[in-house]
Amino acid sequence: MKTLDRFRGPRIAVDNDRCEVYGICVWEAPQLFQLDRDGRLRYRRQLEEADFPQAAAAARCCPMQAIVLRGMTDE
Amino acid sequence: MSDGDRIVIVGAGVAGLRSAERLRELGFDGEIVIVGDERRRPYHRPMVSKQLVTGQLRPMDVELKPYVDVDAHWRFGARATHLDTSQRVVHLPGKEELWYDGLIIATGVVPRHLPGAPRHDPRVRVLRTVEDAVSLRRALTASNKPAVVIGSGLIGCEFAASMRTLGRDVTLVGHAKAPLYRFGPRVAEAVTETHEKHRASLAMNSEVRHWISTKDAFGLHLTNNQLIVASCVVLAIGSVPAVDWLRGSGLDISDGVLCEPTLFAEGAEDVVVAGDAARWPNLRFDETPRRVEHWLNAVESARAAAENLMAGRRLAKPFTPLPRAWSSIYEHRLQMAGMPALGEDTVALADGVTGFVRGGRLIGAASWDKPRAMLHWTAELERRLPVPEYTPVAEPAAELSPTAEPSLETEALPMLSAQAAEQQPYVPTEALPELSEDMMFSDEEWLRVGQGV
Repeated sequence: MKTLDRFRGPRIAVDNDRCEVYGICVWEAPQLFQLDRDGRLRYRRQLEEADFPQAAAAARCCPMQAIVLRGMTDE
Repeated sequence: MSDGDRIVIVGAGVAGLRSAERLRELGFDGEIVIVGDERRRPYHRPMVSKQLVTGQLRPMDVELKPYVDVDAHWRFGARATHLDTSQRVVHLPGKEELWYDGLIIATGVVPRHLPGAPRHDPRVRVLRTVEDAVSLRRALTASNKPAVVIGSGLIGCEFAASMRTLGRDVTLVGHAKAPLYRFGPRVAEAVTETHEKHRASLAMNSEVRHWISTKDAFGLHLTNNQLIVASCVVLAIGSVPAVDWLRGSGLDISDGVLCEPTLFAEGAEDVVVAGDAARWPNLRFDETPRRVEHWLNAVESARAAAENLMAGRRLAKPFTPLPRAWSSIYEHRLQMAGMPALGEDTVALADGVTGFVRGGRLIGAASWDKPRAMLHWTAELERRLPVPEYTPVAEPAAELSPTAEPSLETEALPMLSAQAAEQQPYVPTEALPELSEDMMFSDEEWLRVGQGV
């Protein structure tokens, strides 16, 4: 998580220990999450304000509750 | 609903939490009271039969995070006892009366009882709550005899896998011919194989004939004449809606709470239902009211119910999701979309993906370790099952008064136009499966997770 903390703004973190790559987040937020052909999940960590609803939907729907949204307020 | 109003949410599971969250997102400024019979904050129930029972995660790790400040009054450990829709009051123990302007029913389901099972024996358990998982773990440490699970559905299979993950012997007893048979023969075969590979015993086509309970051991005599000695027995034979508290309320609770397509409860004003307890017609499929017992449906129906309660009955929109669900069994991922249960026939759509067909129409899909293909077939189902146009009949304004007798109301029934399905230009997220890795961003902007398959 150390690398993520370099970003101060709104950002996504996915817990690698939890994620089982169901791809539900890809369905909810295709602009933020993608499934690689090798079966791995890729995600864009920095969020624009326009991405917030999609990012929250992905986090809400994650089967493993592995998606954490950070820096959404002035944290 | 407006400022100064009070919305009561009965049920503090995922549906209760997500509906409260949606009310605040929509700017509801009044009071929210959430009543739950469990003594803890909303948590991620799918982990009860997996990570919690194996001890991989602790109860504090599975709490659900709200994404907005729900600013609610929480009433934990309080089980609603009665609903009076004419007085707009939820009754709580101790003769407490909780008035509401709007009510969200999200009481979910409780595990089904197996007739004949000695539920008073501490070694016979269900697996629904954090407390169930905790006490089951205690029972498992007290004895190293095998565990038994009765029921070969999702919870049964997940629990058997959890036991094997812990290195415990486990027998899965089911009366179907194969576990998870309702997801088609291909999925059932894959599940059977993986259980065998992990050396979980399967006793299919069988039931319990006798329960033998002594101080030192617990035995099961099965109809296939097998005798199993067990440390504990988990009953996982499905669930029933937790709607007993609604008896005498005037709501139809024959199987969950009967709702209009918009999740408004039939026969009451300003009452919406979310989650497993809602029986509503999903107009994307047909006009038959059904319940959907999937976690994602609880999330999505909670949001829709909150939106419709805020909009009011006349402006409410039908809730027409494409249901999706998942399960993990050992290292495998089972995924579903649409309504596989309505299928009359199955068809192989792709490697590891089964399609369910009704009346020549694809109506659902189930996959085994194929998340990428599943995204494609989910989009395909959404395209092939468009939402028909919906025209609610406006109710006469006079009958909107809160004190109106429910029996005097004309029900707002949906008018479905037969041609609407064809005419509606539905724009699905078709591009999904074609998304190339470098479509929008360079590699450096992306992080990766997952072991790959």
